[in-house]
Order: sequence, then structure tokens, then C-alpha cells
Amino acid sequence: MDTIQICPSCGRPLPSNAPKGLCPECLLKAGLQTETQPNAGGPAPPKPPPFVPPSPAELARHFPQLEILELIGRGGMGAVYKARQPSLDRLVALKILPPGVAGDPGFAERFTREARALARLSHPNIVAVYDFGQAAGMPFFLMEYVDGPNLRELERGGKLNPREAMQIIPRICEALQFAHDEGIVHRDIKPENILLDKKGRVKIADFGIAKLLGQTTVPDAALTGAGDVVGTLNYMAPEQREKPLTVDHRADIFSLGVVLYELLTGELPLGKFAPPSKMAQVDVRLDEVVVRALEKEPARRYQHVSDLGTDVQNITAAGSANPPLLSQPPAPVVPPAPPPEEPSDCRILPAFLLAFIFGIFGAHRFYVGKIGTAFLQLFTFGGLGIWATIDWILILCKAFKDKKGRRITKWT
Amino acid sequence: MDPSGTAGTEGSGARFVTTHWSVVLVAGRTDSTRAQTALARLCQTYWYPLYAYVRRRGHSPQDSQDLTQEFFARLLERHTLAIADPNRGRFRSFLLSTINHFLAHEWEKLGAQKRGGSRQILSLDLARAEERYDLEPTDNSTPDKLFDKHWATALLEEVLSQLEAEYQQAGKADLFASLKQTLTGTGESQPYAVLATRLGMNEPAVKVAVHRLRKRYRELLRAEMANIVADPEQADDELRHLVTSLAGR
Repeated sequence: MDTIQICPSCGRPLPSNAPKGLCPECLLKAGLQTETQPNAGGPAPPKPPPFVPPSPAELARHFPQLEILELIGRGGMGAVYKARQPSLDRLVALKILPPGVAGDPGFAERFTREARALARLSHPNIVAVYDFGQAAGMPFFLMEYVDGPNLRELERGGKLNPREAMQIIPRICEALQFAHDEGIVHRDIKPENILLDKKGRVKIADFGIAKLLGQTTVPDAALTGAGDVVGTLNYMAPEQREKPLTVDHRADIFSLGVVLYELLTGELPLGKFAPPSKMAQVDVRLDEVVVRALEKEPARRYQHVSDLGTDVQNITAAGSANPPLLSQPPAPVVPPAPPPEEPSDCRILPAFLLAFIFGIFGAHRFYVGKIGTAFLQLFTFGGLGIWATIDWILILCKAFKDKKGRRITKWT
Repeated sequence: MDPSGTAGTEGSGARFVTTHWSVVLVAGRTDSTRAQTALARLCQTYWYPLYAYVRRRGHSPQDSQDLTQEFFARLLERHTLAIADPNRGRFRSFLLSTINHFLAHEWEKLGAQKRGGSRQILSLDLARAEERYDLEPTDNSTPDKLFDKHWATALLEEVLSQLEAEYQQAGKADLFASLKQTLTGTGESQPYAVLATRLGMNEPAVKVAVHRLRKRYRELLRAEMANIVADPEQADDELRHLVTSLAGR
């Protein structure tokens, strides 16, 4: 009786090497399910049933204006279908959120507000939102269809070398900076949400969906399935785990730091992580970028994601022959030459020269016995000297701050 | 059995601490015996996907046997694991990229007479590998995809063998044979009544037995998944990848 040819569960023919005569695909899928199944006997758990995406046929009934082609992805935040919009003759992506979220008080208002904000995000590197609404209790977004893999799939397939990966980062940064300028934080930056279309263009998906789902804590396991929670948690900034509703754009910078680290090393920066250059053959200057993006304290991170992008771009473009070219030099050992446009910096050299000349002249007056003019000269010398010294102190302080007055030096 | 009453995932937590692949990776350069044992155990379980991969890449059966043996011998002898390979987080990806490197850079350099020979560090049933390979239906997937499919099968073979052995030890081999089909089922569709009659048990008892079998299967599967990734958090991801690879069969 073990020589079954067809799997009784999925109806597909069994491969000849089926382990113990069982369908390998169904076996693995059974492994993905959670421990307690409602049908497994014993008391049923009080958990709500996990989100099961409807089949394309089921979904088609609610979207007569679309041809639903296939389910192309599912995760904690819903399911995505490839569809065709015959009226405009274009492919679209239809994202369905778990129906449970719509029952949440205040959801409708939040949904409308967020969706409108997302629709305003028109950027070549951000997946465009065409429409939104609710169908059969399921909130949905109609979005631009991106024909291409996500970063996770590329990583997995080993199709991305570090150099290519580093070319993607500045594009992501530009898109994120654009959104941040519009006051929108992504909140769920991870390789799965970074897509690359056929022409190699970066497209960031799922902007603000995490906020829309109103997560007051870390993503709800009932909504997402344990794997997704963990997956997202790995990329989450520390402050986002603690106070998810109060995070700002710097949470995205942290998440991007995790993505960057993973692209460089193939591993996650968990706990006390080693700098990327210790793990893989990467430019040692990228260590600093990664460490700054992954600062636990948001105030010590990059404050603008575009700065991170600039640094990565400069390092990648400069190659190893050129000296480090960071947008904001971290903790310079020697104070750098003061920038020429600063008036006080222009004054400092003449001040010293004048102090020197007056000093010499005053000393000469003493020498020849003209005490009165000597004192006059010395007072002038002293005044100029103090002026020059204060100027120097100011310049030194400025050296540790950038143009926007943000401190970039850690004194500890 | 006590764990059947608990919530589940914690039961296998202790296993994660000493997962095979993470042991190997942590050991890195230092050639500890523990790492050697861990790596040898992994190679024993997952050598066939590699053999089939080499065959699919066009090497003759004899060549493939020598090559597989030589590859594992080198892997076990000199720890090439210190190399910073972005794929090393998963044993599967690591093996694939290492064998590719081996095929491209080292295999041809070895003179034909030097290949194979007496280097039998692992006792692999290579003679039967070709029979097994022959039995497989023609599959036009790429060598990489085929490797993943074989990998999933080897993984399940290992897990189910462990599960079967546990039932055998408890004197319940018949129970396992009768219930194993329920591992792939969706529950309600399984004819519990039929199983109950066949096993001479009542229906609720069959339900409990099925529940226990599934639970134990998932525990063993999780444990084995944790054995082949460096970080237990990657286990789910790896499992999903394997499901996808089989979906295209």
C-alpha cells in the first residue's frame, strides 16, 4: 500500500524518490504550519486562524475590473497577486491586507489617510500606488507591478556580487530620502521589500504598510506567522521594537544598515557583530558606514539617509586607490583646514600676523627704551592674540560638527 | 509524553545551541573534533544531492563518484570554512558554492590518476548512487534547482528516518506505518474512522496519535533545519526556499 503514485493531499504525482513514499512538498508545507492545528485534537487554541490568501478565482469575484492572474507573494502583511487591468492594458499588483485588520477601531480613517499619503509618493524608485479601498472586508492596494526579483531572492540565488549590491544602496537611499522629505517613514525596510525590475531599477515596496496595520507592539504573531515576525524583527531598529508608534525616519536608516551589512557579509548583524571587513573582502571604509547606520541611539546614527547613500557611493566610486571620502569625516585626529567661506577662518591668519608684527615691534620699543609705546604695542598684541585664540577654539569646536550643527564626534 | 502538552517550540530550543552547521562555522579554522564530527554527519546526510548535481553538470558516473569523494575529503581535511563566503549562512548554499569553486579551479588540476583512489574519508554508498540516479525520471531543471530538490528530499529522508526509528524503539512501528500518510494530510480529510478500524483503536485515540506524530515530526524537522543553517532564525526562510524549490517539480 506504500506504492501510491498520487499524493492524496495535493493530487500531484509522487516523485520516485519520495521519502518514505510521502509527498515531499506536502511534508515540508506541514512543517511550515504552527504546532497547534485546529484539527489536531485536544483543546483548540484561542488564536484567530492564520491569514489564508484567497485563490485568484475567489478574489476575481470582488474585482470585476481586473483579471487576477496569480498569487505572487504572501507574508505577514497580506498577499500580493499579479493582475491585469484590461482598461489600461497594463499589469498591476494587487495587495490584500488580512481582513482582520479592518475590524480595528480607527482603521478606516487611518487607511484613507495613509493611502493618500502613499499615493503622493511618486518616485521612480518607489512602487507606485494606483488605487486603494476595501473589497469584501479586505483592505487592498492596487499598485505598480514590478517584474523582477526582490533583494532576498537575489541574495539567495547568489546573483548579486558586493559591487552590484553597493550600487543598489544609493538608489534605495534616494528613494527613502524622498519619502522622508514627504514625512513618510517606511518602517519595514528588509530585502523582501526591495525589488529590482528587469532593467535593474530599484523599487521599494510596502511603504508605510507597517504603520497602517497599527502595530502598537512588534508585529502580531497571529497576523504574520512566527517566521515573518522574526524576519522583520531582525531589521527593526531598537527603538522601533520598544515604541513602534513613535519612531522617525532614523528607524529606516537602521533597517537599511542591517540590509547593507547582510549584503556585504551574508549575515545579520546580531548582538556584538564583527565589522564587515572582518567577515568578507569589502572596503574597510564601509565599516564606518555600517556602524554609523546601526548605532543603537538614533541621535548617533546618520541623520539623513541621503548621507549614507553619498558615503556608499563615494567609497564605491573612489575605489581603493583614493583616500577615504566620507561626507562627514568622523572624529578627525587633526582639525581639518577651515573651510574658506567662513569669515572667522579668513580672519585668523591676518590676526596672527598682526599679533606677531605688533609683538616684535613692541619688543623693539622696550629694547630701545620707549616704555610708553612699548606698552601700547603690547596691549594691542595681547588683544589680537586673545582674539586669535578664541577664533581657534571656535574653529576647533566647529571641526567636530557638520554644517547643520550636528555633533559628529563621540567624546567617549 | 510530557512535551505533547506544552506549547511547542521551546522543546527544541536546547538543540539550537549545538546545531551542526553553526558548530562547524564557529570552529572555523581551529579544526576541533566536534566540528569535524558535526561536518561529517552533515556530509553523510547530504552527499547525494551533491553527487546528483555533479552528474547533472555532465560528469561521468565514475568521475562523479571520485569527485564527490575527493570533494568531501578535502572539505573534511582542510577547513576551507574560514573563507568569507556570503553563502555560508546556510550549509546548502555553502556546499553549492564550494563545489562550484572546486569544479572550476581544482578538479581539472588533479591528474586523472590522482583522482579518487584511496581517499575514502567518509563511507558513502557511492556505488549505489548511480543506480539511484538512474531511477530518477528525466527532469529538465537546472543543476541548481535539481540540487535543491534533492536537498529537500535528503532532509525529509533524514527527519522521517529519525521519526521512524523513534517509533520503532517504542515498539510502535506499525502505528508509524499506518499513520505516516497523515503527515502530509490536512487533517479533516483523513479517514480517521478507517484508520481506527485498521489499528483497532477508537477514533479519538487515533486523533491524539496523529496529533502526536505530526507534532514530533515538526519538532524533528525544525531541529534538522536548525542543523543546516548558521542562525536558527534563518531556518524558516530556508524551509520556505525548499518548499518553493519543490513546487516546480
